[in-house]
Amino acid sequence: MSVIRTIIVEDEKPARDLIKAYLAGYEGIEVIGEYDNGFDGLKAINELKPDAIFLDVQMPKLNGFELLEVLDHHPEVIFTTAYDKYAISAFEQNAVDYLLKPYSKERFIESLRKLESRIESRPAGSDIEKIRLHLAETDEKIHRVVIKKSGRIHVISTNDIHYLEAQDDYVMVYTDDGRYLKQQTMKYFENHLDGEQFVRVHRSYIANISYIERIEPYEKTNYILILKDGKKVPVSRNGMQTLKENLDF
Amino acid sequence: MGHPVTGSRRSVIIYLFVWLIISLLHGVMLWHFQDFREIIVVSEALVSSLLFGLAGLLAWYPTRYIPFQRNTPVRSLIAHVVAGLVVIAAWLSVTFGILNVVFHNEKDYIEFLNRSIVWRAILGGMVYLVLVLIYYLASYGEKLRERMQQEERLRYLVRDAELNILKSQFNPHFLFNSLNSISSLTLSSPDEARDMIIRLSDLLRYSLKHRENQFVPLKEEVVRIKDYLAIEKIRFGDKLQFEFEISPVCEEYPVPTMIFQPLFENAIKHGVYESTEPVTIRFDCQQEGDMLKTTIINNYDPGVPSGGGTGLGLQNVKQRMELSYEGKGWIKWERENGRFIVTLFFPCKFTGA
Repeated sequence: MSVIRTIIVEDEKPARDLIKAYLAGYEGIEVIGEYDNGFDGLKAINELKPDAIFLDVQMPKLNGFELLEVLDHHPEVIFTTAYDKYAISAFEQNAVDYLLKPYSKERFIESLRKLESRIESRPAGSDIEKIRLHLAETDEKIHRVVIKKSGRIHVISTNDIHYLEAQDDYVMVYTDDGRYLKQQTMKYFENHLDGEQFVRVHRSYIANISYIERIEPYEKTNYILILKDGKKVPVSRNGMQTLKENLDF
Repeated sequence: MGHPVTGSRRSVIIYLFVWLIISLLHGVMLWHFQDFREIIVVSEALVSSLLFGLAGLLAWYPTRYIPFQRNTPVRSLIAHVVAGLVVIAAWLSVTFGILNVVFHNEKDYIEFLNRSIVWRAILGGMVYLVLVLIYYLASYGEKLRERMQQEERLRYLVRDAELNILKSQFNPHFLFNSLNSISSLTLSSPDEARDMIIRLSDLLRYSLKHRENQFVPLKEEVVRIKDYLAIEKIRFGDKLQFEFEISPVCEEYPVPTMIFQPLFENAIKHGVYESTEPVTIRFDCQQEGDMLKTTIINNYDPGVPSGGGTGLGLQNVKQRMELSYEGKGWIKWERENGRFIVTLFFPCKFTGA
């Protein structure tokens, strides 16, 4: 069996040192890089294509979950984090492991064994898609959206989103700086965007309340939103109901 | 507060019922002491009582708008007497008008009616007085209920604030990451690990000991803040820098325990956690007029969309400043050129509760 190549993405030096110290003397696993933020980690993973990554959740610029969303290369993932508010059981099935800080050497070695057997039995990559699906099922609110566009990673604050439009399996995100296509469902955005700020006004549209200029009648029974930049967004009857509740009119 | 009688259907029915009983008593008395026809007895009883019932509704308005607490008692009394005279005069003239027209053929009755006018006016005055008293009691009762509700709400707010304080004292994320760093340092640098354990213990002991809304000298609070920052510095290394400049006059000043902690946690969370560049947190305290002015400034990476946050920490500190200094201390915060600036003003004269 060949050596397993790993990358550590973790913003705290002592935490990185601990992983390396635990790995010292362990045969068959090598660390080919360590990075203290999500952006550098993402770039390195796509370039170096490691077999596995040790991934912290809380990190500057791009957190661990956001990094997984935009990764091209799919390595095995071992989460290392102090968070336990996410459904750990969900990760247990798809990520190789979920190490809650602080963790013992024995617990760490156990993860490595899981990693080895996973790579042996299924050498063709991991289940990042499944991890993404499980992430979508949590009810954690998002405050930014990470999108790949022509090879670059854009981190968009939800405050800058004007509205979202469904496009088959994708969602088009409209912002000040143009539009971005994101592989995600409307349901996901409806559940994860702040309900005080974003309203599902139509089966295919979610609008940011702070960008609404006015609401006008359209044809006989329908309404249409006029946004601050003049764009028009259709409103369904249910959407109008939700708008009324949210805006109190 | 609305009219206590017309405010609900139930009170209207009760009011009407009471006046029907009074009307009945009126009729029985009239029938017992005088020798008039039944129709006269019944008519007078109904017309007189029901009209008074109607006029009595008006007595509410002087009661409502002439509260005894605010005006001088003499002025209120005069106002009530005038209002009462007007109501009774109106009641008597309408009652007499109706009965005189209807029974103009009954000479005995009309004579009796006109003879008894003074007695009727006096009785009317007494009933009016009772009504005014009842109205005052009703409005007093209502005020009492409102005050009790307000107190209940206040108690709830205080308890809520206390809970928030507890929550803000332990950030589990900080705690477990620090423990992980210590775990790492035991291998690479046991001395540093020991130092970190001692600082962490001091910090935890301090936050446990001062769980209530107590005051401590500012310098003691600063020692704990430095412990906190030292622990974070081990985690983040050169990415975290801090500077303290505290004027000696501030050192003994009493501040609520852990008042700065959430602000430094915010600076770390939004500054250090979200940045890849070094972040400096600066703490200043000096006297300015009759206030002590404290500022906490940190730079942050404005290019990175914030990971969110509910502003709970800032709101919590704001609430505590208002409660602790009885409205004389306050906090403001602003963003300016990639820096987040929190300023707290403490009243100099305040010596602690």
